[in-house]
Amino acid sequence: MQPAGRELEAMNINSLLNQEQSLQEMHNHQNGQPQMSSHFDPVSSHDDFLEQMMSSIPSSNSSFNWDVSSVAGRADHAPPSSLLSQFDDQSAQLVSKLRQHQISSGATKALMLQQQLLLSRRLAGNGLQSPTGASGGESGLLQMPISLNNNGEHTDVVDGSLQSANPANDTSMQSLFNGFTGSLGQTANQSQHFHHPQNFGATAAPSMNQQAASGSTGGGTPAQPRQRVRARRGQATDPHSIAERLRRERIAERMKALQELVPNANKTDKASMLDEIIDYVKFLQLQVKVLSMSRLGGAAAVAPLVADMSSEGRSSNGIQTASSSDNNETMTVTEHQVAKLMEEDMGTAMQYLQGKGLCLMPISLATAISTATCRSRNPIATSTNPLLSGEAGGPSSPSMSVLTVQSAAIGGNGVVDASVKDATSV
Amino acid sequence: MKARTGYSTSLKQEFLKKWIKGIRIYSNFKKDMNILERKKAIKLSADLAIASTRNASTRWSRTLTANISKNETNKIFVEQIFSDSEVIKKEAPSRLMARSNRIASKKIWRRSHITQIKARKMGPYAVKARSIAKKLVKNRTKVLKSLVPGGENMDGISLIKETLDYIVSLRVQVDVMRRLASAAENSTRLGLSSKCSVHWLQGIFTVLDHWCAMVH
Repeated sequence: MQPAGRELEAMNINSLLNQEQSLQEMHNHQNGQPQMSSHFDPVSSHDDFLEQMMSSIPSSNSSFNWDVSSVAGRADHAPPSSLLSQFDDQSAQLVSKLRQHQISSGATKALMLQQQLLLSRRLAGNGLQSPTGASGGESGLLQMPISLNNNGEHTDVVDGSLQSANPANDTSMQSLFNGFTGSLGQTANQSQHFHHPQNFGATAAPSMNQQAASGSTGGGTPAQPRQRVRARRGQATDPHSIAERLRRERIAERMKALQELVPNANKTDKASMLDEIIDYVKFLQLQVKVLSMSRLGGAAAVAPLVADMSSEGRSSNGIQTASSSDNNETMTVTEHQVAKLMEEDMGTAMQYLQGKGLCLMPISLATAISTATCRSRNPIATSTNPLLSGEAGGPSSPSMSVLTVQSAAIGGNGVVDASVKDATSV
Repeated sequence: MKARTGYSTSLKQEFLKKWIKGIRIYSNFKKDMNILERKKAIKLSADLAIASTRNASTRWSRTLTANISKNETNKIFVEQIFSDSEVIKKEAPSRLMARSNRIASKKIWRRSHITQIKARKMGPYAVKARSIAKKLVKNRTKVLKSLVPGGENMDGISLIKETLDYIVSLRVQVDVMRRLASAAENSTRLGLSSKCSVHWLQGIFTVLDHWCAMVH
């Protein structure tokens, strides 16, 4: 579940980092491979390894990811020293692998690694030795991480940075930028910029070897902007994976917005977030129904409201079992009766109920009784329960929350039918 | 995100006005309703009002209005309320279908390809775990689709966007209704309105007048 869990996080950062780690490991495996002519083939074969690596990400990276993500959140702050040491190791590894990889194959991969190196160098605080070409590039790169968050605006910003970063006299630097644009464009506009990486990759290939030397002289640096660089896979093969990635990003983005809205949404898992959302929507809908009943109707009779709700619930869910629907029927009839009686005179309504062995009580009291006595059995046989028991394996918490909803909404003035099973518990 | 507090206040006022307007029309339309009908009237007006605040820009609002208008008796009511006729646009179904077909074919390809690779590389357990997770998500998405009006044939992204908007509107609705309800109750306690069960509308309007006086 690890890959799935990571993937579903709202942070693109993490998934990016995973890919980087996997990329490094992949390089180890691919040292002996002959150089491929087109850069599509190596990437497609890399995909398999990438998948494999992604699945077997070492757990030690998880802490690394978290640290980096928190650092990435505040790009201004210098990363703590412990992180730096980590980063140093990582980037040193990265450099060596970059060299190997450049020698072997995959211009695009090399591109990405170089970009990572450069970016990481910049974000180390610019205090480390770096080739002069890189420093020119850093100012341009400055704009890139910021722009990465806004889909669709990449091209403008990056193109602007490309112009401004021309003092980078190395052709390799320019090709790096181009490659970076290409990869950015991948994430932003798949179709439009799909051609760019091809071109830039081709031009970058010859200049890569030059860069290798300069790249190796750079010291260790944090990997912070590495997370922005992505779409190594997407660059190459199919629009499918790019589209898929784009879609996932969008979903993650929206999920994040929802997280702020829905209470109790500290879950990072997509499935549990969806669960919370569903519960919340149901809760709100229920509140609307309850509110349209309470107090405005005068004798705040919840029963017909609840009967309506359960019937609606039945029609919409359609999961109700036969037995529970039978219960619903009898409850509905009773409730309608009670509502009618309540219209005229509360006294007769109460008598009617007592004749049936039911009683009316404030919801708060009902809640208290239920929690006190019958927690084990499906607690208060309020008519909300049929609605809830329709849920496939709904835990007891929704039923409790519904009750509290009612009590909150009606504020203690409302009433609920409580079928008393135990005469003693009344 | 947007400044939600300022944004909601105007939204709340708009909703309140429309809702009360709906209730008035309904009560003029049909005097002497019993408790169930009253509840239905209130809820109906509330739903219509909150849907109309979106001006048919979101899928759920359009669906909600359409569902309400399906009922013949409601239709007249709806038309009366919105004398400035709301154009209920629906997306061209052809576009929707084409899009979903494209997506479906993509998904099929992707699924066959990637599960092959993963089954080979990842080992059976991880694949199974992932598929279980996906199934969970799928089921829950289905439930969510049934909850949000008009969510049936929407893809994941727009579904979440609609849900977001829907939740915001629901919250506004609940907030306003709750305040009105508590105000009505307070007014009853203070004896401002007569016996509620019969002259409930009078009670509401009294409260409203007080409230508007306070607000403005």
